[in-house]
Amino acid sequence: MAARGHVQDPNDRRLRPIYDYLDNGNNKMAIQQADKLLKKHKDLHCAKVLKAIGLQRTGKQDEAFTLAQEVAVLEPTDDNSLQALTILYREMHRPELVTKLYEAAVRKVPTSEEYHSHLFMAYARVGEYKKMQQAGMALYKIVPKNPYYFWSVMSLVMQAISAQDEKLSQTMFLPLAERMVEKMVKEEKIEAEAEVQLYFMILERLGKYVEALEVVQGPLGEKLTSELQSRENKCMMLYRRLERWAECNALSCKLEIVPFDPDDWQFYILYFDSLFHLIDQSWAPPQEGLESQEGEVHASTAQAISFMKDRIATEEAKESKHLRGPYLARLELIRRLRERSCPEAQQLGEPLELMFQFFVKFGDKPCCITDLKIFLDLLTPDQHVQFINRLMEAVPLCAPGEDGVALPGDTRALQRHLCVTQLSRSLGQQHALNTEGKLGLIKELKAHYQHGLQFGKSCLKTELQFSDMYCLMAAHVYVDLWLETGESNMLWQCLGLLEEGLSNSSSNAQFKLLLLLLYCRLGAFEPVVDLYSSLDAKHVQHDTIGYLLTRYAESLGQFAAASQSCNFSLRFFHSNQKDTSEYIIQAYKYGAFEKIPEFIAFRNRLNHSLHFAQVRTERMLLDLFLEADISSPLEESVKSMSLCPEEDDIPWDSLRDNRDLTVLVSWDPKDRQLNEEHKQRSLEEDTLWLRLRSLTLRLIGCVSALTHPPASRNSEKTTENGVTAKPSSLQSLLSQLENTLNQATQLTEKQLQYPFVGPVASRLAQALSSGCCQCQLSSLQLPLHLQELETTGLDESTELQTQISNLFKSLAVQLQDMLEKCKGDLLEVKDGQSKPQPFLLENLVYFVESVCIVLWVSNYCGSVLRPLKSSLQKKKKKKKEASTVTPPVLSAYQEFSSSLQSLLNQALEHIKSQELSLTALELGALSLEGQTQSEAEETFTKTAMDKVHSSYLRSLQEIGELLKKRADTLKSLKI
Amino acid sequence: MTTLRAFTCDDLFKFNNINLDPLTETYGIPFYLQYLAHWPEYFIVAEAPGGELMGYIMGKAEGSVAREEWHGHVTALSVAPEFRRLGLAAKLMEMLEEISERKGGFFVDLFVRVSNQVAVNMYKQLGYSVYRTVIEYYSANNGEPDEDAYDMRKALSRDTEKKSIIPLPHPVRPEDIE
Repeated sequence: MAARGHVQDPNDRRLRPIYDYLDNGNNKMAIQQADKLLKKHKDLHCAKVLKAIGLQRTGKQDEAFTLAQEVAVLEPTDDNSLQALTILYREMHRPELVTKLYEAAVRKVPTSEEYHSHLFMAYARVGEYKKMQQAGMALYKIVPKNPYYFWSVMSLVMQAISAQDEKLSQTMFLPLAERMVEKMVKEEKIEAEAEVQLYFMILERLGKYVEALEVVQGPLGEKLTSELQSRENKCMMLYRRLERWAECNALSCKLEIVPFDPDDWQFYILYFDSLFHLIDQSWAPPQEGLESQEGEVHASTAQAISFMKDRIATEEAKESKHLRGPYLARLELIRRLRERSCPEAQQLGEPLELMFQFFVKFGDKPCCITDLKIFLDLLTPDQHVQFINRLMEAVPLCAPGEDGVALPGDTRALQRHLCVTQLSRSLGQQHALNTEGKLGLIKELKAHYQHGLQFGKSCLKTELQFSDMYCLMAAHVYVDLWLETGESNMLWQCLGLLEEGLSNSSSNAQFKLLLLLLYCRLGAFEPVVDLYSSLDAKHVQHDTIGYLLTRYAESLGQFAAASQSCNFSLRFFHSNQKDTSEYIIQAYKYGAFEKIPEFIAFRNRLNHSLHFAQVRTERMLLDLFLEADISSPLEESVKSMSLCPEEDDIPWDSLRDNRDLTVLVSWDPKDRQLNEEHKQRSLEEDTLWLRLRSLTLRLIGCVSALTHPPASRNSEKTTENGVTAKPSSLQSLLSQLENTLNQATQLTEKQLQYPFVGPVASRLAQALSSGCCQCQLSSLQLPLHLQELETTGLDESTELQTQISNLFKSLAVQLQDMLEKCKGDLLEVKDGQSKPQPFLLENLVYFVESVCIVLWVSNYCGSVLRPLKSSLQKKKKKKKEASTVTPPVLSAYQEFSSSLQSLLNQALEHIKSQELSLTALELGALSLEGQTQSEAEETFTKTAMDKVHSSYLRSLQEIGELLKKRADTLKSLKI
Repeated sequence: MTTLRAFTCDDLFKFNNINLDPLTETYGIPFYLQYLAHWPEYFIVAEAPGGELMGYIMGKAEGSVAREEWHGHVTALSVAPEFRRLGLAAKLMEMLEEISERKGGFFVDLFVRVSNQVAVNMYKQLGYSVYRTVIEYYSANNGEPDEDAYDMRKALSRDTEKKSIIPLPHPVRPEDIE
């Protein structure tokens, strides 16, 4: 952050120590030093700004802002002040103030290239495209450098991209940009590649593909050199847009044979696409001249078949380093010919045979499964067994040992065998086995796994074991068995196996991910924390795989871990906005124009992330559940999180699902794999759940505002930070919540099972079945009626009172029902086996959440009823009436408070007894019947059980503690 | 049998199968954006026919031309486990070298953990040699000692006498490298 003056100015020397203090994070000393300096040099404005930076960084935002404005109104023109203010405003997240600053500076020093350039960048930071365009031109007029001119052009393109009205883009902004570039072209002033790129971008966006092609192929195109094959790629794209299939075909043909990368899959695809377009158009070569601008064109099936054969012959002639492309392209061509019912497909060979040949060549590569998987549907179902047997013949295995399993002698053979096993699973053969068959398969896979470990003895800790995938697949078969039979022993053994696998291959992310998922499904979050942290997931990964953590932490009652996992994600998202803006500016500086819209889209994708909205909401709810009315009053908590019930900050219509739903490996057959419907449905479920949670949160905000109406303040900040809730918003939020709840009920009725390694089910179904949603809605409805009672008073509100009394009664019943659904053993022991029942834990958490909300609402009810009661008593005293009946609402409330007391006692007792019985449970004594485990394996299984056990205890402890704290707040309900 | 194309921001959402490797660092967003803004041509990703990302290379051009230090630098190179042993890393390196050639670089260099024998051997096979050792270049966060790096180089055609790759006799400290 050092000031870089061109000439050594005495002020620079004076300011130096302050800069140093700030750079070293010693903000207090920086402030002191600035004060000292300001005593001597009152007009050293920069010192003031530096002091403001110190204040800002020590949390004194208001003071910092006032001080900064003292300098800003003077419209400084010295570098030091301007730079310091820029830094300060950025840290304050007020980039718009930087624009004001430099607007003033260029007004005062209209010829400064530097200030104009800063002004341009300041506009760029806030996306003021029109002003950028003008600033760019102003800059170019002062200093006629090309980049400035093209900044201005790019700003026009950005106006086009951001314009709501597409017509305006097409008829005004883009044509203007085009003319601006054309002017430079005519004057032969084009200098840089970036300028040609921008010209290309403009023409492309205008749909002027012919013109774009001329540019790429003409002299200007010669400047496109940075990227490899830049011109070819651009031409190809344009040929497709222009549907010039002959050129497209000829060029893809050429690119597949000649150039830099003779194995590029995209050109095969383009070759086939163009080929069939040409066939459909009955394309004929022109009477004279070249077949196409790009050379020879293939426009018949026969030509394509012979092209493929040539490509393969070339490969076959090679001694080594065979390319996979031609072989796979042949299969692709068969697929396409078959889709068109072309009998010529047969000329290329029988897919089974071709895939076999591919396997012989490439079966020892780990990607062989990925390659062949996409062509498995070329086989007919009755060929499957034959196919697998055929491949197996090509796997060199040693003679079967005692256990009847034939094993590979080296890693290549292992990889081949593994590939066949993977293909067999992909063909559904493993799923078709009965229980016994699956257990047998597991035994075999384990034998391969154990045997294969010998090949990896010298592997480093960072490397994977050669046979890891056998272990993973055996785990998948265990999961299949568990899903089919519901036998929890399968799950225990699966966990044991994976724990063992991880102990042999500590960097295997797939082991970790599956373990993590299984522990979560078992309701055990404690082991998940370490597993996730060992994945070393960072930054953007918090968005793509963070859901694995945040979905479960809170719902399993591990509140501390839940806060932490939300924080990981939130920290990432919050830095995004500031970070991306800086690189948009960089992209202007380096002329990476095509990256600018990309960066903006990226920023939006992160800002609109579903996961971001989820963690934001859940984090606030969690804070309230854990703290509000415990460590500080609800009102304080709500205020500190700037929660505004009237404001909905979630971009519902543009939410982006950034989850990586395929991060876990799967070799399941196609019909069991993740599909679009799953993704769609999962997004829908998660969005609905988010809506429920966000509405609940806002309603809690309303309740808080009702209990402590905010003092009216005049400062403009009130609306920003203070809580303002009008009764109307309460009403409207309630009806939205009710609607959403109905939608949610309807959605969960339509059951859809996700693949086990696909998206995790949202919390919706469990929450609904626990009864918590309905209960929370009922409790949040109370304030509305109480408000009414507050206005009508006790005397003329019999009907209303009855209504309220009934609500209290119903609420007590609902809570009791919820509590009943929590009862049962978390680890149920039956016939010497232990069966986890994690849903009990989840229900317990929902119960506690509901209790929190009910208590806040009751607190408000108490605050309404208390004055009513005391005024009643005063009246009584006056009239000296002997005894009147207590108004029904008061007795109902009192009854309700005491039933809450008893409910909480019951719940605490239940938790206590669960803790006791879990502690007493001797896992060692449990048998793992009907299993195939060795002693060593059993140890790992026991470890896994211990982890689940310990996690349950911890969850119970955290839930119990929270409930106890809540129970302590009961006394404040007294009226 | 791969589609090679420019890496874009959207790929950051899909690269877990590559980046969950223990030796592949997932950087903060600014780091990736800096490379995309400054050297987009040096950031290339390989995509499988099924759409899976196979691997990527990320690099830059830097150094003074006058001092004959203008060169291509490999910042990150990683291939997902299932797409290894296909020569993909070599292919991506070849592309980076070609881009550096076009920019008139004198050499290409990279840093690698001395313990990462697999990678060191691969680079040697691709024609790279150890130019110097950088002491404690990789900082460890789990209490283990910091690790040294090899600075490996390969001369490009502009460095006709291969002056740029003559090994330094002594190791250097991280603060001594540019």
